[in-house]
Amino acid sequence: MNTLAAQGDTWGIPGPLFLKLYLLVAVVAVVGTLLHRRRTTAGPDTVTTDQLGPQQVAYLNGGDQLAIWAALGGLRGAGAIDVTSNGRLVAVGSTPSGLTPLDHAIRHAARQSVATRELRRNGGVTRALEELRQGLEQRGLLIDADGVRALRRGRNLLLVLLALGVVRLVAGLFNGRPVGWLLLALAGLAVAFALVARTPRRTRTANVMMSRLRSSNHHLAPDAAPAYATYGPAGAAMGVALFGTVSLYALDPGFAAQAEIQRQALNASSGSGYTGSTGVTCGGSTSSGDSGSSCGGGSSCGGGGGCGGGGGCGG
Amino acid sequence: MTGPQGVGIGWRSEIAGFVAELPGLRFVEVVAESLSPGNPLPAGLAGLRERGVTVVPHGVRLSLGGADPVDPARVTHLARVAELVDAPLVSEHIAFVRAGGLEAGHLLPLPRTREAVAAVVANVRRARAELPVPLALEPIAALFDWPDDELDEADFLTEILDATDAELLLDVANVYANARNRGEDPHALLDRLPLDRIAYVHVAGGAEYGGLYHDTHTDPVPTEVLELVGALCAGRRPPALLLERDGHYPPADVLRAELDALATAAGHPVVT
Repeated sequence: MNTLAAQGDTWGIPGPLFLKLYLLVAVVAVVGTLLHRRRTTAGPDTVTTDQLGPQQVAYLNGGDQLAIWAALGGLRGAGAIDVTSNGRLVAVGSTPSGLTPLDHAIRHAARQSVATRELRRNGGVTRALEELRQGLEQRGLLIDADGVRALRRGRNLLLVLLALGVVRLVAGLFNGRPVGWLLLALAGLAVAFALVARTPRRTRTANVMMSRLRSSNHHLAPDAAPAYATYGPAGAAMGVALFGTVSLYALDPGFAAQAEIQRQALNASSGSGYTGSTGVTCGGSTSSGDSGSSCGGGSSCGGGGGCGGGGGCGG
Repeated sequence: MTGPQGVGIGWRSEIAGFVAELPGLRFVEVVAESLSPGNPLPAGLAGLRERGVTVVPHGVRLSLGGADPVDPARVTHLARVAELVDAPLVSEHIAFVRAGGLEAGHLLPLPRTREAVAAVVANVRRARAELPVPLALEPIAALFDWPDDELDEADFLTEILDATDAELLLDVANVYANARNRGEDPHALLDRLPLDRIAYVHVAGGAEYGGLYHDTHTDPVPTEVLELVGALCAGRRPPALLLERDGHYPPADVLRAELDALATAAGHPVVT
């Protein structure tokens, strides 16, 4: 009986042994990945929202493009920029005070009649955006490139483990071996993978700040029909930063349409598509530990004799 | 539940962020029809309530001057809104906005007849029976007089207030507009009004078109109106004055300067 079973083992590894090893590696990988992710996405303990300008908020909320649009909102609100009928920017009037490096870069590009959609590829604008991003990374609000790579490595490790398990499962099924416990282990691993599938760019501190900013600036939400003349250029820029270019269309529909700015309303309640929602992912990481341990509970199968009789084991 | 005090501003969602930043603000007014009692207060208003700022609901659609009895559903709404913001009083206009089933969409002036007084008094009594707080009545600006007027503006108003025990919401810009458009002296008109009944005062901007002064609420407050405020407050100073701005909102600095000018003219502390 034992000999027969050994001959029928998938890849020559007995089911209970494979399951034990697989679960061991999976639990270590999941716990390690989640702990690493938790640390990498944390961000600093205290940052106050009043240290952030509209363009920084826009970058956190929607990356390069939203930062450019927020800057355009501020410049338009200040009457420092216009657009021609063929979508090319024009710098108007004297340079307003209090401009950011990105504002200056956009004004400079406007003096060279750069079209709005080409701003992202403009040298000066690219450099200003780079500065903006680095500043946010240094303050621990954005995860830097190394951090993102490390997060993806963890995710990829789980993906490889998942793939291995699936292959073993299929092979086991072809061999007519019991696969119930392996299936259970795979389900647990799949849940853990789902939790880390999206790689966030914002840290949890940044997420908390964003939701605080949304509630303290609810008067800039498009449904309040904000009086941008009263709130000034900074208010216009913050409106775009928090609520999307729908604010730019409310501020100056003619300009926004002529500048070929894509109309976009950012949902005030959820995070944006750009960074994903770290808060949700990390909130789930605790429960993933639970599901990992319930999956680890399957290892009692490997130890107990109930496995063979139970009819379902590691393929 | 203190009554309105000092200089206030009409709360509008468009300028909610500006109003929230006024450090000395003690009262605002909100258009009653813009709130729904079943829903939570707009965040900006809720923030003001937490600060202890008095919120006065201001009705614009009750049509107290209509020949028909006032719509009970509208009175109930006003009462519910008053409870929602914990208001010390509510206000409405002496005007009609619908007649014979037609909605005018505007506040229309009443002919100043004894019959109109009786209609308003009956409606104010009906409304007050349902309202949990006192009601202040605001006479409206009129670009014309009806040909069959029996009473002048001051007598018309005094008769209504005496018969209903309502308080007065005096719109100084309306007094200015009405006197000026009839070629009369606004100060003389002001002196004849029952000023001892004032709960609070409205002040708004306007502009002249075609020789007539229009109470637009979208233009700056003219110097003449501020002078009238000064004259009013030199006598028995009203407890509260409110700047009404309903559109063409200017930059924050300009709006702050208007509030300061109003505070200075009235002799109340600045709120900015």
